[in-house]
Amino acid sequence: MAENRRRHFFIDKPLQLHYMISVVAPLLIINIVAIFGFYIGIWGKVLDAFSNEQIRNEMVTASRMVEYDQARYPTASPSSSDFSSLSLFKQTEKLSQRQREIFKNILNDTNRSLLWKFGLLLLFTAWGTIFVSHKVAGPLFRFSKALDAVGDGDYRARVFLRKGDQGHPVAREFNETFEKTDALLSDIKTASKESHPARAVQIIQEKLSKIQTSADA
Amino acid sequence: MLRRLTGLFSAILFFIISSVSTVKAFEPVPEDRELLSKIERDTLQYFVRLSDKDTGLTRDSSRPGSPSSIATTGFALAAYAIGGSHGWIPKSYAYGRLLTTLRTLKTKAAHKEGFFYHFLDQRTGKRIWTSEASSIDTALVVAGALLAAQYYPGTEVEKLAHEIYARVNWKWMMNGSNFLCMGWTPESHFLPYYWDSYSEHMLLQALAIGSPTFPVPKQAWEAWLRPQGEYNGHRVVYSSPGSLFTYQFSHAYIDFRQLDDGGINYFENSREATLANRDYSLSFSGKFKSYAGDSWGLSASVGPGGYKAYGAKPGGGLHDGTIAPYAALSSIVFTPEESLRAARFFYENYQKELYGNFGFKDAFNRDKNWWAAEYLGIDQGITLLMLENYLHEGVVWEKFMRLAAVQKWIELTGLGKRSIQTKN
Repeated sequence: MAENRRRHFFIDKPLQLHYMISVVAPLLIINIVAIFGFYIGIWGKVLDAFSNEQIRNEMVTASRMVEYDQARYPTASPSSSDFSSLSLFKQTEKLSQRQREIFKNILNDTNRSLLWKFGLLLLFTAWGTIFVSHKVAGPLFRFSKALDAVGDGDYRARVFLRKGDQGHPVAREFNETFEKTDALLSDIKTASKESHPARAVQIIQEKLSKIQTSADA
Repeated sequence: MLRRLTGLFSAILFFIISSVSTVKAFEPVPEDRELLSKIERDTLQYFVRLSDKDTGLTRDSSRPGSPSSIATTGFALAAYAIGGSHGWIPKSYAYGRLLTTLRTLKTKAAHKEGFFYHFLDQRTGKRIWTSEASSIDTALVVAGALLAAQYYPGTEVEKLAHEIYARVNWKWMMNGSNFLCMGWTPESHFLPYYWDSYSEHMLLQALAIGSPTFPVPKQAWEAWLRPQGEYNGHRVVYSSPGSLFTYQFSHAYIDFRQLDDGGINYFENSREATLANRDYSLSFSGKFKSYAGDSWGLSASVGPGGYKAYGAKPGGGLHDGTIAPYAALSSIVFTPEESLRAARFFYENYQKELYGNFGFKDAFNRDKNWWAAEYLGIDQGITLLMLENYLHEGVVWEKFMRLAAVQKWIELTGLGKRSIQTKN
């Protein structure tokens, strides 16, 4: 089991990064749309509830008390140019400055809390895609290595995949093909070692007659 | 020759200024008097309708859910006495309301060292919203109580009013400083704000210095700052926000016309401040639809963005196109012609949006097509008292100035010296 464990998650960095972006980008868009939808929906409901007469009266009274204090005592008034996600809500047109401040603070707190959770979610998603993608990139790497070896003339090469890797059936087919090719070439090579050249040519022709190549018309 | 002409010009100018600085300098026509009287009577209804029948405590605002305000309750006491004196409400009813309210203030209303909390539960008299034991709001309720006492001498109303006044430990509210603190809360004790500059606190000063039980030293009167500034030729000892109400509240009870504070006549000062306030809004009439020659009044009020201390220069000068009709109307003793024209303008042009069962609603902003749906108690109160002074020969001033406490304050601070010399 331990020997099966990969030491490096980045086996094929460009592929895995591409894979990660391909997964994370749509996920990000889906998340943003979903969160924005929930966000607007939930806060829209909260602000709608504020228009409930009794709740509204209590809120207005609470705000008024603070506004009285602000009018009477010299305190710094907040800048009207401060941007807040509160401006996304049409319902805020009904609110007084103090009420806007209260909601703005609540929204800002919520945003801050959501932001780091969202960042953490992105981190986990990115790590997840790398973890998943290395199960694809690993086999591809093995295929590539085996094909390179064959290209270099080593027909003994085989594709060995780890448990849980993607592509086991393909690897099996690859290995069966390699084995057949290896056996054919081994037979030809053995035949070439015959002491009687005529016998060797006969065996080789017999073996080669079973395969189709570009040399066949 | 030039010197003589200058002297003559100064004499004429002095005559003009003197003549406009009296209540009767401008005589309204009967129709105008009727309109003002109607506004005063309607405004009285705010206090009649929005005071609790068991406690007498009056709502801060006509808005549902509003708590009672101790300052508004003070104006209610004055309003009952005035309403009863004219027969607008039966005198027995007025007396009953006064007794109920004063008994609540004496026995039930939450207070600290005699200072009432700013906002109280209308039914129980308990402190709400972590409000502060407020010095200015206590002064306003005590002033209302003492005025009512003057209307009902030798009665339980007078006895209770003076007991409530005597209970207030004004000296304690100085917190060892030269100024009266704005308030105290059980949570954080004395607020970090003091009445250290010109504002509506002159009434508070008068009651604190004139107190028979816990007087503050007369130096408290001299300690606060009198910042001077000018706008459009109007030189004013100004308040920080430049809100009109700061130039009006003390004048609802105290007749400053004959008082002189080291060369400052606060009645004249309020007149100049009012004219500056009007000029200031007029200078923005191209930008804001609400501002016009007869549509003015920048003062603390509700607005499209909540309650704000709107005002003019000199002072903070915060404005956004919101006009408070009460502000223009409550300057009627200072600027009768301008205020009357404003009252008529508001009534004739915005009656549907702005005038209701309790008189003028608090404010409007035409640029934002915003019209207040509510009346504010203290704004109704100042309207009623100023109209009463204007329409009835300064009757509130006359009664209030006879109080021993007020006389003591005048004597200790030397405010009356100039007028005595002038008379001689």
